[in-house]
Amino acid sequence: MKLKSGKQLHDVSPHIVKNWSTKEIMQDVVIALMPAFLGSIYFFGLNSLILVLTAVTSCVLSEYIWQKIRKEQLTVGDWSAVVTGILLAFNVPSTTPIWAVMVASVFAIIVVKQFFGGIGSNFANPALMGRALLLYLWPAQISNYITTNHSGVDAVSSPTVLGMLKSGSEISQFSKWDMFIGNIPGCLGETSALLLLIGFAYLCYRKVVNLAAASSYVLTVLLVTFVFSKDGFFKGDILTNLLSGGLILGACFMMTDYASVAPRIKVVLAIIAGLITAGIRIWGMLPEGVSYGILIANCLSGITEMIIKPHIYGVKLKSKK
Amino acid sequence: MAGGLLVLKNYFHGGIHPSDGSDKSLSNQIPIRKFLPKTVEISMKQSPNSICTAIVKEGDKVSKGELIGKPTGFSSANIHASISGTVTKVIKSKDDKDREFDIVVIQSDESNTDSLDTAGGWEYESSLVDLSAYTKEIIIAKMEEGGLVGMGGAGFPTHVKYQTKEIIKYILINGAECEPYLTCDHTLMREQGYAIINGVLLFVKASGAKKAIICFEDNKLDIAKDFEQIISGKELPIEIKVLPTKYPQGGERQLVEAVLGMEVPAGELPTSISTIINNVGTAKALADIVLKDEPLISRVVTVTGMVKEPCNYLVPIGTRFRDLIDMSGGFTSRISRVIEGGPMTGRSIQIGGALDDLEGSVAKTTSGLLVLEDSYKIESPCIRCGECERICPAGLAPFKIDFAALENDITLCDKLYATECISCGSCSYVCPAKRELAYRITEAKNEIFRLRRERGAK
Repeated sequence: MKLKSGKQLHDVSPHIVKNWSTKEIMQDVVIALMPAFLGSIYFFGLNSLILVLTAVTSCVLSEYIWQKIRKEQLTVGDWSAVVTGILLAFNVPSTTPIWAVMVASVFAIIVVKQFFGGIGSNFANPALMGRALLLYLWPAQISNYITTNHSGVDAVSSPTVLGMLKSGSEISQFSKWDMFIGNIPGCLGETSALLLLIGFAYLCYRKVVNLAAASSYVLTVLLVTFVFSKDGFFKGDILTNLLSGGLILGACFMMTDYASVAPRIKVVLAIIAGLITAGIRIWGMLPEGVSYGILIANCLSGITEMIIKPHIYGVKLKSKK
Repeated sequence: MAGGLLVLKNYFHGGIHPSDGSDKSLSNQIPIRKFLPKTVEISMKQSPNSICTAIVKEGDKVSKGELIGKPTGFSSANIHASISGTVTKVIKSKDDKDREFDIVVIQSDESNTDSLDTAGGWEYESSLVDLSAYTKEIIIAKMEEGGLVGMGGAGFPTHVKYQTKEIIKYILINGAECEPYLTCDHTLMREQGYAIINGVLLFVKASGAKKAIICFEDNKLDIAKDFEQIISGKELPIEIKVLPTKYPQGGERQLVEAVLGMEVPAGELPTSISTIINNVGTAKALADIVLKDEPLISRVVTVTGMVKEPCNYLVPIGTRFRDLIDMSGGFTSRISRVIEGGPMTGRSIQIGGALDDLEGSVAKTTSGLLVLEDSYKIESPCIRCGECERICPAGLAPFKIDFAALENDITLCDKLYATECISCGSCSYVCPAKRELAYRITEAKNEIFRLRRERGAK
């Protein structure tokens, strides 16, 4: 069998194609991340801008250089490295050293993405893997959260709301409204539920995300944290769990990431990720479990696909005979 | 047979919406035009796997309806002269698989009195006629004699379908016409409602089925109403079903799933679940064969896309493509891609050439001639968005089969059920990375079948 690919394939059907492309999808995601990006500059100052630009530049450059050296097809034009860069910066606090973000970007692109074959072949979300690397190598440098520029006092070190919950401190200084608009300590892009949801609404409008996966992830986390709270059964703080931490960023922009997920198991994986996230939040050592929840679910996609079989037209009927 | 046969879910799995209606409205507003060319080139290869032997030679006089090609196997059907005249040439030709076949060229005589005047004059075209004189055997014999084949695409001889030993309960009449741009069935149904319903009743008699279900997509509600009016109050074994518009509704297996809520077992024909599917065009042709004694020698062809006047034409089989495009005013695109059939499954027959160089002629299965502005697609890496898997009507994971096919791993392709691909092209259509999934999966499928045949032969 001789198969043609690429440009030689000129005359095969279908002769019409849907009007969208990888590049457009990635550009849509970048557009959807813009409100939260601007919000992060507003809340955490110029540091946010610098970190995001650093991450994006490092991601794009490392992909470009890698593909040039390896003489591979250049894919930097598809904007996926830009998305990875923004998401990576969104997942660290504004006080993170620039060099740490650079290291994480290079790791995310080269090791997590290109080592496994480039776009589409990565087994897990590169941005989250970059964050996981930083958490492992330099936990102190990326756990230095500060209050926002608009919290009424000068920017000072402060644990995140989830961190306070974990250690049993009082969180009443942050109103639910502050949590909703993002006026709380946290990672760059995760704090503002409002701005993230605006972006997510745009992606839904453009039909490039799986709403079912995102919502089943959020609902699972909320349900489990509500039922098993440390104050007893059915006493969890739903709104705090929803609005503080990276739940919405993860659900809207990372759970819905494409890494090797068959459509029929997207919701199942989202529920698994939700269970892990909630488990970490309740019983784990870390205050936050979004990134590990999603990463572990990413890794489980292969086995889930094997367990949940697809339905092939006409095939089950035959085996019954 | 499972109970609850008529659980209607009205949806088949997967599918896409490639048409916004504007492509169809190019050609579906205008009545069918008739066109009688001076020369026809009748190919002895009317569909991919059917080659006939020409029984006429250069210089022979033939009259309209005379047998000129005999089948060589069970997948081909009789071929008749579509105009009266002289055989001026028998061209030897070869297809892409190196099989030889003849093309019979007939030039019409000066004294030719043929006409394509089918409208009016015939009772079955304006009312429901008495069919009691026709038995199952007579109808099936006439199908064979008249060279009736499925006019929706595959071109399988209809009489073979009806010679099945299975008991037939349902006849599905496919009026979905789900391919974008094509409107030949739509306009035919609008103008020949009575002839089609007479044909459907003949199908019912030929099969002994309980009833026929005529299926439309909801973008043809006008036709559904017309048909409803024709059959209302007459206690006919006909039901009309309107389905939500979705491609590939007109795929045999998808239509069964949508209408009967059942699946055709893999590797078997719809007859195995007591169903036969026929296109509306085939029903009209059957009525012509039985009630007018005219074999299948003409059909309606949509000429559309980037031509000056998109329109549907009733033409003799063998009408040259260049004459048809000429009738429609010629190309309007700079670099034209001419496609035989619809944009989803059609075959590209010329790219960028001049109209005078356009080869080929209308076959019994030619539903349309579509001219599009030529364009290149550049494939980029799969991003595993899963869209192809979500929309695959067969439930496959096209991107995985694509990877396997590119690695030449035929065993893996087989394990991933590449054999169940219906080659509808939906996966290539939705792929944001512009990968030619349908092409490679179809190649892999053919390769699997070829290997199986080889193994079987040993």
